[in-house]
Amino acid sequence: MTLKTTLKSTFAALLLLGSAGIGFMTSDARADAIDDITKAGVLNVGVFADFPPFSSASADMTLKGYDIDVAQALADSLKVKLKTVSVTGQNRIPYLTEHRVDLLMSVGYSKEREQVIDFAAAYAPYYIAVIGPKALEIKNKDDLAGKSIAVNRGTLEDTSLTAAAPASADVKRFDNYNSVIQAFISGQTQLMVVGNDVGAQVLSRQEALAPEQKFQLLTSPSHIALNKKEDRLKQAINDAVAKMLADGSLNKSSEAWLKTPLNPANLKD
Amino acid sequence: MGYALDFGWLNGAIGMIASGAVMTVFLIVVTSIAGTLLSIFGAIGRRSRHAILRKLVAGYVELIRNTPFLVQLFFIFFGLPRFGIRLDPVTAAILAMTLNMAAYSTEIVGAGLDAVPKGQSEAAKALGLRPRTIFIKIILPQALKVIFPALTSQIVIMMLESAVVSQIAVRELTYEADMLQARTFRAFETYFVVTLVYLGLSIALRKLLYTAGRRSIAGGMA
Amino acid sequence: MIEFTFWDIARNLLLAARWTVLLSIVAFAGGAIFGVAILLARISKRKWLRRSAEYYIGLFQGTPLLMQLFLLFFGLPLLGFRIEAWTAAVLGLTLCASAFLAEIWRGGVQSLPSGQWDAGSSLGLHYVAQLRLIILPQAFAITRAPTVGFLVQLIKSTALTSIIGFEELVRTSNAINNATFEPFTVYGLVALIYFVLCYPLTRYTKKLELRAAQR
Repeated sequence: MTLKTTLKSTFAALLLLGSAGIGFMTSDARADAIDDITKAGVLNVGVFADFPPFSSASADMTLKGYDIDVAQALADSLKVKLKTVSVTGQNRIPYLTEHRVDLLMSVGYSKEREQVIDFAAAYAPYYIAVIGPKALEIKNKDDLAGKSIAVNRGTLEDTSLTAAAPASADVKRFDNYNSVIQAFISGQTQLMVVGNDVGAQVLSRQEALAPEQKFQLLTSPSHIALNKKEDRLKQAINDAVAKMLADGSLNKSSEAWLKTPLNPANLKD
Repeated sequence: MGYALDFGWLNGAIGMIASGAVMTVFLIVVTSIAGTLLSIFGAIGRRSRHAILRKLVAGYVELIRNTPFLVQLFFIFFGLPRFGIRLDPVTAAILAMTLNMAAYSTEIVGAGLDAVPKGQSEAAKALGLRPRTIFIKIILPQALKVIFPALTSQIVIMMLESAVVSQIAVRELTYEADMLQARTFRAFETYFVVTLVYLGLSIALRKLLYTAGRRSIAGGMA
Repeated sequence: MIEFTFWDIARNLLLAARWTVLLSIVAFAGGAIFGVAILLARISKRKWLRRSAEYYIGLFQGTPLLMQLFLLFFGLPLLGFRIEAWTAAVLGLTLCASAFLAEIWRGGVQSLPSGQWDAGSSLGLHYVAQLRLIILPQAFAITRAPTVGFLVQLIKSTALTSIIGFEELVRTSNAINNATFEPFTVYGLVALIYFVLCYPLTRYTKKLELRAAQR
């Protein structure tokens, strides 16, 4: 082997690597998303992995919860398999816009988000609540002054808390729900801001801390989010959610996971 | 390919990036000083007459060196409160970084101490100097001189590893990048700029330590 | 309510550790292959090659691995490559490992007395044959300890891929944490698993260092 052949083979290896990479390329003249999904036979849905009772790990490490029920029903209605992809508050919008996932669950509506992504039907009630220990008196947003508060960065909780909290509030932004909840439970922050149902899961397990819901910051039902200009997919999702509402299966999931019957009035922004 | 890079957000973001960089620098300055001091004690402990102390230091060094920094950080921040030890993010980060750095530099400092010829301390002893004076005035400066390049590398490595303390909400460079990214939806451009800032910091840190090391240690102390 | 026993936690963490091990092996192998290419460039007679390799190494050693992973993860899709967390993790760790390994081995090559090269050429060996038969085998042999030492660093570095969403040990532990709310147990077990993976290699490194020192 001479140096030249070594270099040549290195170069060839690089070329191979490169062309293998090109194999992954997505064509930009995209067919309709719904055609892609049917063709692949798989619906990729971005969900949180640490977001009980909407989506969290079970003993065999599969994800379970309200969001997973709904995602499964959507896949069934499109007659494809469901593949859940676990995302964080921070990376999920890029995941969607870069077509790593077809849909996102648990996305609250905001104007900023609407510039980048599209919203299909709302499917779950979501109340963003301030949660803290019983011993700490918090009645409204002014009481947040000087308190340390854990929140998941880049989520609607983050933006609504940032807008509401006085300047002296010490907002600690974490990367995922796991860290938010752990920071609160371990006493690293005095308060946390999460959905009230997520909070309820935590509350029921922490006798020592005796946490309770202090007040609600925002009511913002969870939507299914998708990329812009995917009108056929959006229609299909909206139809599927409407059907789940009509046949009572959404209500069943609500009773199973959120422990309360579903009130369709709570699905309005 | 319709994607055009957009750095328009950068104007409004310089303040955030700068304040993140200041925190990163603060963390590494405190850690370097505390970590080096701790590692001197570690190296002495490692060479102690007491077997228990030797074992204890060795156990600490091995424990830290064989587990990821991120796990150590999570353990300190989320795990320790179970024993009533609650540290705010910055303190937890400094503690984790210091413990981590000291484990590596204990070995480095130890190698430096071993490199100083035995005759030096014997000669000093013959002059009637106290053991502590011998160590601080004679052995340590020479050891530090030998190990300064290795110590410098370790400090730079620690600075780069400090990027993960963003995970416990310390508002350093990576944290600010994450915040910017969530606001601008311009992930690549944001991380690109911040990576360049890190590169600049590590080059500057290396240069600074190199010149400082040549002046104070090679020139003054020894 | 989802319930986890201690054994559920331990079993799931061990299962996740398979991904940590696999990622470490793939990245080390990839890093070694690519690292040899970088090494050859770094010690090449051509200045531009040497320079490029030097910058490559400087870039990876001068920026946080977390940023390298973020850039690959968010950057490659902009170029039209659709990559998963797994691909970004493998690619990022491989590139980073190649830079570190090339630098370690370069140290080995440089520590060889120049007589080794001269001896090679006096035997009438050509540059590549000198490298292949004389220089590289010795350089690898001298640097075995730091090379294994780097493998330990690499195993620990795989923890960072949890942040870009690769489901290895740390990311699984985060998910379990939020179902069990027992961070002390979970992170304690995670630390233990890493320790079991790394400690034998660290011991081996020490042994190699001692052997080298005695020679």
